[in-house]
Amino acid sequence: MKMAYYPGCVAQESGKELDMATRWVCRNLGIELVEFPNFSCCGSGFIDEANEVLNVALNARNLAIAERAGLDLLTICSTCQGMLSLANLRYTDPKVKARVDGALKPIGIEYRGTTKVKHLLQVLVQDVGLPAIKAKVRRPLQGLKVGAFYGCHLLRPADELNWESAEEPHSFEDLLAALGATPVYYRGRVMCCGFPIQFVKPETASRIAGHQIDDAKAHGADAMATPCPLCHISLDAYQNQAAKAVGHSLDMPVFHLPQVVGLALGASPEELGLPRHLVPTEAALGKIGTRAPA
Amino acid sequence: MVSAKFEVYRFDPAKDAAPHYDQYSLEMAAHTPVLTALLRIRSEVDPSLTLRYSCRSAICGSCAMQVNSKSRLACETQVGPEMERNGRIVVEPMRNQAVLRDLVVDQEPFWRQYDKIQPHLILDPRHPMPEGKENPMTPAQVERFHETPRCIACAACFSACPAVEADPGFPGPMALAKLYRFVVDPRDQAHQARLLAIQPGGLWTCLRCHLCTEACPKDVRPSERIRDLKEMAIRVQGATENGSRHAVGFKENIRERGVLSEAKLVRQTSGIAGMVGQLGQGVRIYRKKPEILKSPHPIEGLDEVRKIYAALDHPEGDPP
Repeated sequence: MKMAYYPGCVAQESGKELDMATRWVCRNLGIELVEFPNFSCCGSGFIDEANEVLNVALNARNLAIAERAGLDLLTICSTCQGMLSLANLRYTDPKVKARVDGALKPIGIEYRGTTKVKHLLQVLVQDVGLPAIKAKVRRPLQGLKVGAFYGCHLLRPADELNWESAEEPHSFEDLLAALGATPVYYRGRVMCCGFPIQFVKPETASRIAGHQIDDAKAHGADAMATPCPLCHISLDAYQNQAAKAVGHSLDMPVFHLPQVVGLALGASPEELGLPRHLVPTEAALGKIGTRAPA
Repeated sequence: MVSAKFEVYRFDPAKDAAPHYDQYSLEMAAHTPVLTALLRIRSEVDPSLTLRYSCRSAICGSCAMQVNSKSRLACETQVGPEMERNGRIVVEPMRNQAVLRDLVVDQEPFWRQYDKIQPHLILDPRHPMPEGKENPMTPAQVERFHETPRCIACAACFSACPAVEADPGFPGPMALAKLYRFVVDPRDQAHQARLLAIQPGGLWTCLRCHLCTEACPKDVRPSERIRDLKEMAIRVQGATENGSRHAVGFKENIRERGVLSEAKLVRQTSGIAGMVGQLGQGVRIYRKKPEILKSPHPIEGLDEVRKIYAALDHPEGDPP
């Protein structure tokens, strides 16, 4: 399987461990990642707030790059997935399309609207398939209770994303079960991590993150896992702030989606970038009999 | 027929120290509305069960409650699919509002936020409506807010909103969707004042998580209207709030290299003083992730991105 790899900004910068883990997992599952150094940022929802049409046009350019190469686009971030899907949908509005084409045509870009955008989670569950993944598990995550945390833009608005139930998703939990882990179901798994207002209203953002971590913990999770590097920033890098906001310690290790897959498939913690996390993952790794990262 | 198993939240502050759940099992047709089932429980099993309802036809907005953790109108939520989804039907009062008794909540905070946006046409006395005449609108003008008048003020969105939960000062999705409706109404003459008034502590707390749009039984799509308000607010006032500075700063950040420069964005949003306040956290993250201070390489084809900006990003562009 060959896909246009859209890593997004954060996985190339502070969330580099997500990129490392993605490459390891794709290499081991036979997904060939084709790179395009001309992809631009998806706008992360912020450009959409400042200028809706500009946001569609920038993403139509990204989608056109994959279309020219004849490839589906692979995202590893819930927000990238949401923004690129949103662009595909808004581009079907003739008024929006006319303005976007008006900006793209003069620079020689034509988008026909055919690029499919798929998040790694969807590719793993629907294209690679759970039986194929299960067959490659070398280190079952037995005894590890994991709370999946989806990230808003992978699910909502439902008519935009439309690959999984927005209200009762189960792909991530099914995958966790295939890896040998025990999925934990809790209300917060489809809620917001607070990230969009982390720099706008930090305390409110941290309280929201704290609520979701508390909820996962109350339902017995030893660790959380997310398919979104922005959620990871809120839940891991700013977990100390979330703990402050809710008034008690949280101590919740948070994995990126391909890190849990990589662990089960036999990757070392270093190969998956686990030492880069702010909240130590030792306790969770101990449960599956893996040594702590150096 | 299905054997429906209900777990219903019960709480009478006059008698109970803490809430509890009562269980009821009833045989009923799969298409029975949850509201009808609750009324059967009340008439056949426990007359003390307290709930709010009126029209039973998804018009009045009275019977919103949480069914299996989702904010729903009980009158249009059927028993069969909920049993299939969850194996039982957990019925709880709406969130983000204090419980008065059982499934009835205090709607006061919800309506207070609604009142704050001045939910009526505001006219400028210097430009009165022509006497004895209607104030007609064109179909295109009405089209701009055709979704929001569908709102029945059931508060399902208010209950689902994580920003309301974390910050009771946030107006919530319904009030903001209603505000949008007046801001784009050509008969209203306080558009700018409304946009200025809503920004501090209001508009930019929205997380665009779309949980309101998912919860809304009338497809008002509040999160999308809040997005429209944000873009309009920037056009009217520029980047004056943390939130608008962040959105505009992000847009400018990407114009520069095509990809995000993380540290620069924090400076754009928070200013130098704000950065100093976040220094401790920054150092903590930097130790594990030194990339946060690096400026990424510009993308290939940056000139294309810049030309797209030049074509579509001018402050006096068409309103959204």
